[in-house]
Amino acid sequence: MRKLVELKYELDKCVKCGTCRSVCPTFRVLGRETACARGKLTLIDAYSSGAIGLSDAYLKHLKECTLCGACRDTCPKGVDTVAIYNAARVDAVQKLGAPVAASLVFKNLLESSKVMDAALKIATRLQGLIFKDATAESGLLSRFSLPVIGKGRLLPPLAREFFLETSEARGLPAPAKTGKAKVAFYAGCGVNYLMPDVGKASIEILKKAGADVFVPSAQVCCGMPAFASGDAAMARQMALKNLEVFEAFDCDYITTSCATCGHGLKHMFADVLSDNPELSSRIEAFSAKVIDINALLVNVLKYRSGGKETGGKLVTYHDPCHLNRAQNVRNEPRELLKSNKNIAFKEMAFPCSCCGLGGGLSLTNYDLSIEITERKIESIRASGADIVATACPGCMVQLRDGLHKYGVNARVAHVVELI
Amino acid sequence: MLSEIVKRELKRIVGEANASFAKEDLLCYSYDATNSPYLPDAVVFPSGAEEISLILKMANSEGFPVIPRGAGTGFSGGSLPVEGGVVVSTERMRKIIEIDTENLTALVEPGVVTWELQTEVEKLGLFYPPDPTSLKFSTIGGNIAECAGGPRAVKYGVTRDYVLGLEAVLPTGEIITTGVRTAKGVVGYDLTRLLVGSEGTLGIVTKAHLKLLPKPETTKTLLALFPDIKDAAKAVSAIIRAKVVPSTLEFIDSACIKVVEEHAKMDFSGAGAVLLIEADGSAESVEKEASTIEKICMESRASSVRAATGKYEVKDLWKARRAISPSLLKIRPDKINEDVVVPRASIPDLIAGIEDISKRHNLLIACFGHAGDGNIHVNVMYDKKNPVEAASAEDAVVEAFRLTLRLKGTISGEHGVGTTKSRFIEMELGPAVIDAMKRIKATLDPKGILNPGKIFPKANGPQKAGFAGAGK
Ligand SMILES: Cc1cc2nc3c(=O)[nH]c(=O)nc-3n(C[C@H](O)[C@H](O)[C@H](O)COP(=O)(O)OP(=O)(O)OC[C@H]3O[C@@H](n4cnc5c(N)ncnc54)[C@H](O)[C@@H]3O)c2cc1C
Ligand code: SF4
Ligand code: SF4
Repeated sequence: MRKLVELKYELDKCVKCGTCRSVCPTFRVLGRETACARGKLTLIDAYSSGAIGLSDAYLKHLKECTLCGACRDTCPKGVDTVAIYNAARVDAVQKLGAPVAASLVFKNLLESSKVMDAALKIATRLQGLIFKDATAESGLLSRFSLPVIGKGRLLPPLAREFFLETSEARGLPAPAKTGKAKVAFYAGCGVNYLMPDVGKASIEILKKAGADVFVPSAQVCCGMPAFASGDAAMARQMALKNLEVFEAFDCDYITTSCATCGHGLKHMFADVLSDNPELSSRIEAFSAKVIDINALLVNVLKYRSGGKETGGKLVTYHDPCHLNRAQNVRNEPRELLKSNKNIAFKEMAFPCSCCGLGGGLSLTNYDLSIEITERKIESIRASGADIVATACPGCMVQLRDGLHKYGVNARVAHVVELI
Repeated sequence: MLSEIVKRELKRIVGEANASFAKEDLLCYSYDATNSPYLPDAVVFPSGAEEISLILKMANSEGFPVIPRGAGTGFSGGSLPVEGGVVVSTERMRKIIEIDTENLTALVEPGVVTWELQTEVEKLGLFYPPDPTSLKFSTIGGNIAECAGGPRAVKYGVTRDYVLGLEAVLPTGEIITTGVRTAKGVVGYDLTRLLVGSEGTLGIVTKAHLKLLPKPETTKTLLALFPDIKDAAKAVSAIIRAKVVPSTLEFIDSACIKVVEEHAKMDFSGAGAVLLIEADGSAESVEKEASTIEKICMESRASSVRAATGKYEVKDLWKARRAISPSLLKIRPDKINEDVVVPRASIPDLIAGIEDISKRHNLLIACFGHAGDGNIHVNVMYDKKNPVEAASAEDAVVEAFRLTLRLKGTISGEHGVGTTKSRFIEMELGPAVIDAMKRIKATLDPKGILNPGKIFPKANGPQKAGFAGAGK
């Protein structure tokens, strides 16, 4: 990946027009120049030239960012802000020899799926003891068995059985010889540890759509959380491991129902592994196969919903930044939803505004993160929808938390659960 | 440099969290869209007039500059702390206090972003017309201080025409209320108008009472392509002559078209110039006006005129139009961006004259802008690193100013003088006028603490921000 010093030309492209102030979710909340891209780029430039050091203030402003990419999208000069932020985070972690954000947490938990499994298993067993029941906190959400910890924050419980251990996943160790499109399914941590149902629904739909789907069991975390917290070395290891795991199979597509993992697999892997030219053709072949599940279903498998019952009246859709902006997938999830004759669809205002979770922000600055969510929740409330569909487990966690916190009675579901 | 006592006092006035002296913060309040930074000594985020009053009083007694700042999107260096001092940001003052649907007025704080006000009033069927291209990120306070205008000015006028009254803090710290709440009012001098466009040098606006209009029933957007730029310019004059008043009449030349085609992936099939025209009002009158405009364009040798269909196309067209200015730097590394205005009938002469200047200096000059009111943004494209080009670019600009003044125009329609144009105001204004302005300034700001180094040419002051660079 490009180092901070190599991005000087990119920094110089910024003409200080201020257009990025109109879209930045952290700037909306904080209302200070230091929060928007123009300010951040100024600080990163000053840091690169030695005008300021790795000060607390510098690190704080670096972290006040969801890496949503809205600034990059709107910048008339096409400044690749996100590449600069990532490089600055990596640089800081390297210089400090310590985490900018929560990289230590990831180091311990995500290094290999085994360590993480073991840690989480223990946590699962303890869960009943340490998490309170949501219903005790709020009758509103009695439909959800979600626990509440600290600050009234709603966190999803760990699954009783992780997705990769379910019979649905384990029963599909390798592609069958059916002659149909061979699709390898990448679960990702959100689906594996928190939302196995999303994984199961994905497998079911892919089968229905005529794919020969299978789930490589040795897959590990995609490394995006580590990468966002500046730990490129960790992300690199994970990328390499996943590359090996998936290369062992002959498949036409690698798909995932997590927007962030999809973006990681498709783009971040190439970025963190770019230091090794020998890998470039392998990475290229790998990335070319990665496709988000919505895009795969619509554009390749031509799937249309058979008319599933959703149990709700009105559905709206939230665009995950890592799908909409990072992978250019906007219409496909909407098309899928609209193909279900039992769904009445309504667009919310600002469907593309960030939910607030990204960039490690919900870990490093929960208050800011959930305040960003507020605007989203207001849009949902105004839309009148009782089901919010989206296509990223990360967004799902944040939206559930936000709906609970701001008292809106709507259910969050993944697109694949509604079609 | 501020003394420790001043720093402590500033913190006491605005609160610990709302005053900063940290380099990180100062860096982020050192620039505006001219992209030529000057580091302030402090940045403060006051909550309203009382705090600002205390700061200004202290500035007078302690002798430090105070620089008002909105979003820092100015094109003339108005919010740059050229002599250091305390930047007063209005970022915390972003409340829409009241929208009065009976009297069609709004009362807002200066840090409100123009687009946010527009969105709110439009929900109530009302309309705040001033629409600088930066409307999604510039503030009402900045708009007032620069008297910002935009495409709709041709029909609806500029910010000045919508300011009924102000609450402002004078440089010496007195809080005043100007203007009236009525449609008329002639008691005393019109201080509201004096403050509007004063570039933050005569007072800090802390509240603005704005005029609203009923929202026009409908709008129609037309796109006219012209093979020859001169015909497009003539069509503008012909439309005005025909007594049709479109709500916007934007002009885009071929260099800008190219950028738009690339940035927004739009196809204008090699046109030499494009006019983007809107008519608004009742459905009936809009149709009538649109067909008159279409006829005039075709008579002026347009190759095609068509209506933009659907909300998305219109949105895309405007997005593309708004992106022109910053995107221009994709074709050449640097540009000097000026916003000259000529009487509308003289637009063809201006365009022809600019083409001539461009040829003579062998420099690409990209033109676009609010042709409907005679305001054309002239962008001289060059490479700063090439000294010969840089010198002729400056010459080209001065020639463009001379041309403008010959055509009885003005050298800045919207962006203001600030630091970038101060050395040129003598070209336009006579010595007696400049002297009168200086006396007004000296009376209201005897110590010269409010936004010093702006508007008036300095004998030997800092002139780093030579030209408007970032461009609009
Ligand atoms: C891409 C782009 C497009 C633009 N398009 C247009 C356009 O179409 N039309 C146009 O007119 N301008 C345009 N501009 C210029 C600029 O946006 C306007 O001048 C705008 O009004 C500045 O507002 P701001 O909030 O950014 O003010 P700032 O840049 O922060 O300040 C501008 C001036 O106002 C003063 N000021 C700010 N707030 C106050 C206050 N509360 N009281 C007193 N003084 C104050 C400052 O001291 C300074 O002198 C554009 C700029 C950009 C970057
Ligand atoms: S929009 Fe782009 S060029 Fe403009 S200030 Fe932001 S990052 Fe810089
Ligand atoms: S990536 Fe998103 S949060 Fe970060 S600066 Fe850009 S717009 Fe703001």
